[in-house]
Amino acid sequence: MTQPPDLLEVREVAKSYGPVVALRSADLSVAPGEIHALLGANGAGKSTLVKILSGVLRPDSGTIAVAGTPVQFSNPVQAVRAGIAPVFQDPALVPHLSVADNFTLTGTDRAAVRPWLSRLALDVDLNERVNALPLAVLRMLDLARALAHDPQLLLLDEMTAALPSDYTENVFAVMREWRDRGRSVLFISHRLTEVQEICDRATVLRDGRAVDTHRTSEGGEARIVGAMLGERASRVGLPMAERRSIAVDGPARLQLEHLAAGRRLKDVSFAVARGEVLGVVSLEGQGEDDLFLTLAGDQAARSGRILVDGVPVKGRHPLQAIRRGITLVPSDRQHAVLPQRSIRENLALPLYSSIRSWGWISDRKERRAVQKAVDELEVDTRAADAAKQLSGGNQQKLTIGRWLVGGYDVMLCFDPTRGIDVGTKHQIYRLLRQQAAEGRSVLMFTSELREVPLVCDRVVVLHEGRIVAELPAADADEETLLHAMHNLPARELS
Amino acid sequence: MTVTAPLVPQLPPPTRPHVRAIRLLRDEAWTGALVVLLAVLLIWQSTQVFRWGAFELDTLFVSTLPLVFLALAQTVVVIAGGIDLSVGAQMVLFNCVSGSLMLHAGLGTALLYAVVTIVLAMAAGVLTGWIVTVSGVPDIIVTLATSFVWVGVALWIMPEPAGGAPDSFRHIFIGSGTAFWPALLCIAVPLLLIWTPLRRSRMGLSIYALGSDPQAAFLAGVDARRARITAYAVAGLFTALAGLSTTAYTSGGQASLVVANTATLGAVAAVVLGGVALSGGVGGLLGPILAVWCLSLIPANLLTLGVDPSYGEVVRGVVIVLVVLGGSLLRRMGSRP
Amino acid sequence: MTVVQSPEQAPEQPAGRRRVPAAMLALIGVLVALALANGLVDVSFFTLGQLRNTLLLAAPLALIAGAQTLCMLTGGIDLSVTMTATAVAYVVGSRAAAGDSTVTALLLGLVAALVIGFVNGLAIGLFGVNPLIMTLGMSAILTGVLTVGSQSFLGGATRMPQVVKTLGRGTFLGPLPWNLLLWALLAVGLVVLLRRTGLGRLIYAVGDNRRAARLAGVRVWQVETAVYVLAAVLGAFAGILIGGRSGAVDLQLASSLLLPSIAAAVIGGTSILGGVGGYGGTVLGALILTVLDTLLTRLSVGESLRELVQGGILLALAWAYVSSTRRATTRRRSG
Repeated sequence: MTQPPDLLEVREVAKSYGPVVALRSADLSVAPGEIHALLGANGAGKSTLVKILSGVLRPDSGTIAVAGTPVQFSNPVQAVRAGIAPVFQDPALVPHLSVADNFTLTGTDRAAVRPWLSRLALDVDLNERVNALPLAVLRMLDLARALAHDPQLLLLDEMTAALPSDYTENVFAVMREWRDRGRSVLFISHRLTEVQEICDRATVLRDGRAVDTHRTSEGGEARIVGAMLGERASRVGLPMAERRSIAVDGPARLQLEHLAAGRRLKDVSFAVARGEVLGVVSLEGQGEDDLFLTLAGDQAARSGRILVDGVPVKGRHPLQAIRRGITLVPSDRQHAVLPQRSIRENLALPLYSSIRSWGWISDRKERRAVQKAVDELEVDTRAADAAKQLSGGNQQKLTIGRWLVGGYDVMLCFDPTRGIDVGTKHQIYRLLRQQAAEGRSVLMFTSELREVPLVCDRVVVLHEGRIVAELPAADADEETLLHAMHNLPARELS
Repeated sequence: MTVTAPLVPQLPPPTRPHVRAIRLLRDEAWTGALVVLLAVLLIWQSTQVFRWGAFELDTLFVSTLPLVFLALAQTVVVIAGGIDLSVGAQMVLFNCVSGSLMLHAGLGTALLYAVVTIVLAMAAGVLTGWIVTVSGVPDIIVTLATSFVWVGVALWIMPEPAGGAPDSFRHIFIGSGTAFWPALLCIAVPLLLIWTPLRRSRMGLSIYALGSDPQAAFLAGVDARRARITAYAVAGLFTALAGLSTTAYTSGGQASLVVANTATLGAVAAVVLGGVALSGGVGGLLGPILAVWCLSLIPANLLTLGVDPSYGEVVRGVVIVLVVLGGSLLRRMGSRP
Repeated sequence: MTVVQSPEQAPEQPAGRRRVPAAMLALIGVLVALALANGLVDVSFFTLGQLRNTLLLAAPLALIAGAQTLCMLTGGIDLSVTMTATAVAYVVGSRAAAGDSTVTALLLGLVAALVIGFVNGLAIGLFGVNPLIMTLGMSAILTGVLTVGSQSFLGGATRMPQVVKTLGRGTFLGPLPWNLLLWALLAVGLVVLLRRTGLGRLIYAVGDNRRAARLAGVRVWQVETAVYVLAAVLGAFAGILIGGRSGAVDLQLASSLLLPSIAAAVIGGTSILGGVGGYGGTVLGALILTVLDTLLTRLSVGESLRELVQGGILLALAWAYVSSTRRATTRRRSG
């Protein structure tokens, strides 16, 4: 008897954004009647694959087949018609319309949705406007809506991330029911315990490839973490910059005391010494962006203190933080680069922020400062009239170089090497170490765990808005960090 | 190991009649305020003017008819997240088109020409929407450019004020004597026939979605191009009505850039005062209609207060500024953690 | 793979000696072509007198368009600048008629402009009011105040002080009009402001990426307020020049220049979304519109075709700018 075709078959799908390769060659098979987990560290290609499967992006190459029929999507509607119903992290609900109107908009049959609403215990007035409802409820509504379209494959992207535990139980029950009907679920998550609890099989992505597919019963969380790590051998060997024998007993340059901010940062305390590079690692959505934005002065803290050289920092505007020496290299280059302006203007921006410097620009002084930054960063300045024409790596160098020009004591770098080629990455590592050697401090969030021992002196791990681990960089191998990031007990033997 | 469970979010209580009433009040608060304001202005005027009656109401509803239609046209485009600086120019164009066509026509032919005008206007709307979508040029600039084009065509059709329309046609819009209900009917009929069904349909909701959150709209499967073009086409319908009602009111046509621009800006003001968010996705068509009436009553009321009615412009400007200032202050207070 | 550049690689040219971008050359080409066409129709176009007249015609538009350029660079717009011009002309004229000295009258006019500019700027910068709406409202307020005022406290404003009339109509050193000299000075000032001052850099930065500017420490509201104040001041100068030239003031003094001023800025390469453009291009845009208008008048082209052509050129150029920007973004160098 021939095997029924897989419900979803993904073969050698690849996707690049310019020079950055997000997916090299991803393979995935989901059988009918199974709950399949899709896992991978930040930047492994998970979200790109999800976007391709849901019709938001088109792959550069590779094939996708649903129940044996090859498919191609150019928008989410086609994906739904082919039988894949996604539930995104940001609910696909129009904020100013009511829930009922949203259902009409997507052609969702009211009669089909109602049983799922009660199944998920969603006692919601459908005439309520979407932006008046809490996020958890919206995600559940999105799930009900997806189910009402009777898809072959439910695609749940970090479904449980914003949900309270009783909602999560409902979701799991529904998922099991779906599976028992012979349909399937593709479950994307960071929460390895949940994966073990609910999923039948798991596929792990690393570096844009699927590296391990296994039944969850045949290997615990350790197997998943191991797959995410891969062989430790492959690392670009480059001499690390001279590391000073750490004198972290000096007075702290930056201190945080029970800082709480934004929606997700609960209670964080740590210190950064002069000349130290402190790394911060976490899974997505653990409060790391609130941490950096608050330190940068962009948003006010809810409680707690920030101290520079023992003196508290206050204020709601980045200029106040900058005046105390704290500068930000933002997470997204889009928030830092002036795309249509020249390299020089991008670099020299901090020189003019205060009203006192609104006057005449001293050409010579500016040129000297800019040239110095360009030299230190080795920016490729050829053939670029506007910063947007530069490669991602060079743009990132601009956002860092801005503070070489403007001066700083503590540089907050949020994932500075994300989406950048290897060579530029190492240039940035060298630069940061050099800055530290000159007595400045760096607080660096990174999603690439491999670079922690290369750049940092110490590293802290953030989980659900709190610090759960702190260790010297020498002890911070990927495995230890990954365990800490998932808040797993240290190192189970596999 | 585990994670502290986040707080259970508060679900809004299930619908009970009084909750529904509260929500209705909240959603329609702006329109409600406008109704109150309109009533106040009318009542005040009626107490001040000797033998206030049908004549004043006729002046109010008939003379503002073109502006009402323009406000409706602008509203549809703004709801879709855009803006149209050419609505006034379109009004002038279709005024000249219909005025020249209808000059010696009888009622039947005039009605035919009216339909032709409407079709032309919707085609112009489709063209505008297409250019905005395809070119990537911001709609404010596209419609600025097309406003010049429309006035140019109007001037070509009617270099000097001319044209006319049969009285029977004119009465459809302006009534005879002081009968103002035809004017109101002209507003109500297109609203009920076209907007009310559209508003709840998938296309109408797509237009709202486009203005509210284009990203969520895309994920929800909205075809942005089609929604935008439809919005401009519906706006075209209303600008045709604005032109036709001008022809009826002035019994002729006049191509004037000044009139076009003044009308456009007046429409924008009415839209903002009508509770429609310039950012898109929010608002209805009733608010701007009430706003037009309120704004036009201000000079008359000032007159009765012994104030120079030219201050009406000042009041209008101050009201616009205060309304938008208030709106942004409210938003700021709401977003404070 | 990256190519590590040695620092000796030529860095980007200093701002002052930036090579003239292709768009500017294209605009100059268009202007020259239109001028030649004018010359073909009527050779006298190229006489000194006629050239001077062309510049005189273009000056008020260029000043208003300059105000518009500043606002558009930060991603805004100013629909009240022509009424500001009119208001200032009224203030100057009426104060002079009431017997104030010329200096006092001019100062009062300037103060009026500053007040208008600050109100606009603070509402837009600090309170986040939409620039289109705020300046629209301000325009209505000014129209109303002037309508009433022209019959009362601003009455008699039709007499402009002699100095202003000289500025508007007179010449110095023979054929050079004061009008143009003033415009030239303001133009130089504007270009210098945008290219060689910190404020100029911030104007571009705020328009290009407001968030990035804020994270780099810029107090965006200060920059926006400054821009609308400067725009009002430019409007004031325009009002004085126009009033001086005609010797009289009326409500329609400048209103016909409002939408063409936006067109001139867009034609000159300033993006309504902000961050790109400059006064040089705007001047070319204003000249192009003026010369085009002259050409069409000479050809006895009706007003109809004139409007059509103006609209067509605006759309075509705006489309061209957007397409070329899109092409430039997709051009990336690796490394």
